[in-house]
Amino acid sequence: MSSAASRRQRFGTLLGQGFLFLVTSLSTFAVFFIFYFILKDAVPFFKEEGFREFFTSAHWYPSGHPAEFGALPIFMGTGLVTLGAIVVAVPLGIAAAVCLSDLLPFHVRQFVKPVIEVLAAIPSVAYGFFALVVFAPLLQNHGGAILSAGAWIILGPILALLVTVLGDLVLGRFSGSKKLGAVVFPTLGILAFLLIHHVARQLSGVEISSGTNALNVSVILGIMALPTVVSVSEDALQAAGRELREGSYALGATRAETIIKTIIPASISGILAAVILGVMRAIGETMVVWMASGNAARIPDPWYNMLQPVRTLTATIAGDMGEADHITGSARFHVLFAMAFCLLAFSFIMNLASEIIVRRSRKKLGK
Amino acid sequence: MTEEITMKKIDTFAEYGEAGPAAETQVEARDFSLFYGDFEAVRKVSLKIPKKKVTAMIGPSGCGKSTLLRSINRMNDLIPSTRAAGEMIFDGHNIYDRNIDVVTLRARVGMVFQKPNVFPKTIFDNVAYGPRLQGVKNRQELNEVVERSLRQAAIWDEVKDRLSANALGMSGGQQQRLCIARALAIKPEILLMDEPTSALDPKATAKIEDLVGELRKNYTIVIVTHNMQQAARVSDLTAFMYEGVLVEFGKTRQLFTNPENPQTENYITGRFG
Amino acid sequence: MRLETRKLLDKAFSGLGLIAIAVMAVALLLILAPIIWRGSKAFVFKGTIEHRRVMLEQFGRGNAEKYRAEAAEVAAARAPVYQMLNDFESEMKGMERSERRAYKKPFREVEKGIKVLLGPIPGERMPVLLRQQYGQTRWDRTLVKLHEVLYSEEWDYSNPEAMGVLVEKPRIDLFKGTKLEPLFPYLEDHIEEMMRPKQTFYWQFITDTSKDSHIFGGIWPEVLGTLYLTLGAMLFAIPMGVVAAIYLCEYAKEGRVVSFLRICISTLAGVPSIVFGLFGLAFFLNTIHVSDSKSVLAGSLTLSLLILPTIIRSSEEAILAVPRTYKEAALGLGAGRWHTIMSVILPASLPGILTGIVISMGRAAGETAPIIFTAAVSVGAPLKIWETLSQPTPALPWNIYNLCTEHEAVDEIRHVQYGMVFTLVAIVLLLNLAAILMRARISKKLRG
Repeated sequence: MSSAASRRQRFGTLLGQGFLFLVTSLSTFAVFFIFYFILKDAVPFFKEEGFREFFTSAHWYPSGHPAEFGALPIFMGTGLVTLGAIVVAVPLGIAAAVCLSDLLPFHVRQFVKPVIEVLAAIPSVAYGFFALVVFAPLLQNHGGAILSAGAWIILGPILALLVTVLGDLVLGRFSGSKKLGAVVFPTLGILAFLLIHHVARQLSGVEISSGTNALNVSVILGIMALPTVVSVSEDALQAAGRELREGSYALGATRAETIIKTIIPASISGILAAVILGVMRAIGETMVVWMASGNAARIPDPWYNMLQPVRTLTATIAGDMGEADHITGSARFHVLFAMAFCLLAFSFIMNLASEIIVRRSRKKLGK
Repeated sequence: MTEEITMKKIDTFAEYGEAGPAAETQVEARDFSLFYGDFEAVRKVSLKIPKKKVTAMIGPSGCGKSTLLRSINRMNDLIPSTRAAGEMIFDGHNIYDRNIDVVTLRARVGMVFQKPNVFPKTIFDNVAYGPRLQGVKNRQELNEVVERSLRQAAIWDEVKDRLSANALGMSGGQQQRLCIARALAIKPEILLMDEPTSALDPKATAKIEDLVGELRKNYTIVIVTHNMQQAARVSDLTAFMYEGVLVEFGKTRQLFTNPENPQTENYITGRFG
Repeated sequence: MRLETRKLLDKAFSGLGLIAIAVMAVALLLILAPIIWRGSKAFVFKGTIEHRRVMLEQFGRGNAEKYRAEAAEVAAARAPVYQMLNDFESEMKGMERSERRAYKKPFREVEKGIKVLLGPIPGERMPVLLRQQYGQTRWDRTLVKLHEVLYSEEWDYSNPEAMGVLVEKPRIDLFKGTKLEPLFPYLEDHIEEMMRPKQTFYWQFITDTSKDSHIFGGIWPEVLGTLYLTLGAMLFAIPMGVVAAIYLCEYAKEGRVVSFLRICISTLAGVPSIVFGLFGLAFFLNTIHVSDSKSVLAGSLTLSLLILPTIIRSSEEAILAVPRTYKEAALGLGAGRWHTIMSVILPASLPGILTGIVISMGRAAGETAPIIFTAAVSVGAPLKIWETLSQPTPALPWNIYNLCTEHEAVDEIRHVQYGMVFTLVAIVLLLNLAAILMRARISKKLRG
């Protein structure tokens, strides 16, 4: 082979690799372009209107004269809805992940996995449609019944656990005989039952004036975030490994003790990453909140009132851009980019955080 | 010097093994079999493990020695589709009986695994894990248990100043001794060791072996090992298994110097395995 | 803690886990059940004679002879209704002024109700709006509309303490003793003869264009638009994603640059979908002007960025799953690196790559937020393929949103909305099912 030919070949290889690298770095360009173009259209807003009103004022009248751009209610709405979604998705998701990784036998797991995959695959607009057309009327017409059923579902298991622990504490104190146990547990059980019953009765009287509210959206967003939380935390739980589990079982721990005292602490960073990813899913979601949150740009009274309509960043962008589109260049247009930038920055930070957490945990477990 | 003493000790127990008359037995397998699905990993094994002795199990990999060991505290239950037949007698009960409580059983049997599997917690919390499960809350009581266990595992001097450091920061050998301390903290009646030195370097291995020599005074130890020298060094009795069958069980010295079964001889002379 | 309690807690703990799984499964069921059940009714329903008329007149479908024969019978059944209306109108003329005025409004309401129910009154001028040219096409809607003719709704505020209550009053009470009185029982008794409900399987719901903004017809423009957008997105994303995966797996040396690339890819995966939409608007439309206004092209480009990380990751996984021995064997035979990749690694990892592609297709088909500003319009005709470069399109996800929030007759076209959601969910789930089956086959193959 002549040296010229070999040089040409080497050059060709280098060119090929360069091309591959270029294509690969397209996604890098995309990230930079996204940041640049969102920021470019967000800056004029901050220049013109400053930061203070945007972040602290509760008056959102972009079409008024003079226009007011207080986005605080929108930030609060986003936060409230996301918080609600976390409350739904995190306990359910972690419990389900534990169930998948440690409780269910293999052949049952094979039936549960598709449930999660289907939940993840359903398009967000279908969830939004369900929230608006099915769930919202239900909430509006049978709000009390749904709330009290929710109280049973949530409080029931929690109080059952509490009764067990408290009962044991009492028995432990009096080095209890079986007879005492026969008195203590039923008594506590009845008390818990009465408590839940009371709460449920109170709730069943509540009338929900509008089914499109923060509660509706939170529940649906929670369900949407579930698959992410479940699959990522299940991976983390699996990664804790058989050795740790055996080590704990061999010391005479029950399954629950093994999971709570050893496996969950060992995989806590992975679980945290799962929660972060779930939060990101909820915050970035547009269609459900746009369709079913009620889109009222005011702070609920009191701020945690889930039964009032709220508005979120994503829904504001989606909804207002239609009107702002033909007034490109106005503050009304740029404020939406300012919101998008806040979203972008937040999800970037969260993403980075989850990445770092996962990496660190991998290092810690030596894998 | 130590060799001689060990030999003498074994001699005093010459009646042990299948040949001798029954002495005080800690665990006894009677026609015990264990299946993974359809595969019979342990086949109708019968043997008596004496109290306060070191019993080694040797054999080529996949011969069922680890499975048999893990049957003693029903660790195999964690693997789906396992099934046991025959009896495993511990403290007068067949531990595979329906009414036997696995959690209690495991609290009476300590176990040390192939790879050191310390929990990602502090050294103190690792050792205190078992006692805490048993309901020990008193701090002083816990301190005592932890110190005693760490001393017994011959690691106290190395870690006494950093009990609240994460256990994952220790060396492999230290981790394994911590695992032993952790197992000792529950005051087990029997200590199972599943190839405890296979992941360690020779120096750490020697330390563990010394430790086993110490512990035999107070504990019944069953140790699975793929290292025949190790079996010869540390054990009083040796069981040789092959393809799930207990081929030979007897005094270590006799088994290594004058095996009855030709298969055993082939194995220990290195013709296969 | 006592042993019994520990075991009790253990059981309770398992119970909690199982409850979580059950809640998840029930949630899935609750969400899918109405979508599937009511969505299927867009395809299978009892169609009235009016449905067959729409099919014949608007889509040229069905047997004209048979329809005419049926229409003649129906006209005969309807004739008494119109007769009664006429009779009452003449009766009204003979009434005193005040009495006449009292009857006028309720009568017009009845007349209007009947037009909505049966279509325009024969002999009158044809209305301009298509939706007024036909009566109810579906039996379920027919019954609703019949009810509206038979009963009027009024708010009852008689109890000042409570909120107003909606009460229904039979309209027949208003017309006691007039010639209109027999109309109501006649309608109720002869509605089947007048409408002729027949079990209909309207599979063309998917392939028909919509008439009069989804009052009649099907959802073809939306289905086609979704198809264009999805395929367009794949067209850009597949080559970029697979090439990037090959580079990351086979060429790149782990180091700062690659680690940076990976962070960028995961950042891209975390960008909220609405931000992609804004970016598409700001970059593809307002900056580089891929088209003058929204277009399928701009939407596809935006969607392709959205699914790029998914494709890269799944392709990477598939490539890494190829046993190293394959590669070493090929390299050992003297094949070049590129040749090895094309002839050994890609074919071996193809099923895995395809699985990832199929899943991202489902994602692209279902995404709404990125196409709002870049590609989607509410009403539009099916596009020719070259029009995709410059024209916007209706698409299933966007029109689901649009029909159930912004349509002027939201309640009248629930079946269309459900039908659309059903179609979209079916498309996405079928794609996912395909992926699950492919994955099962791959893992079978790998196991031996």
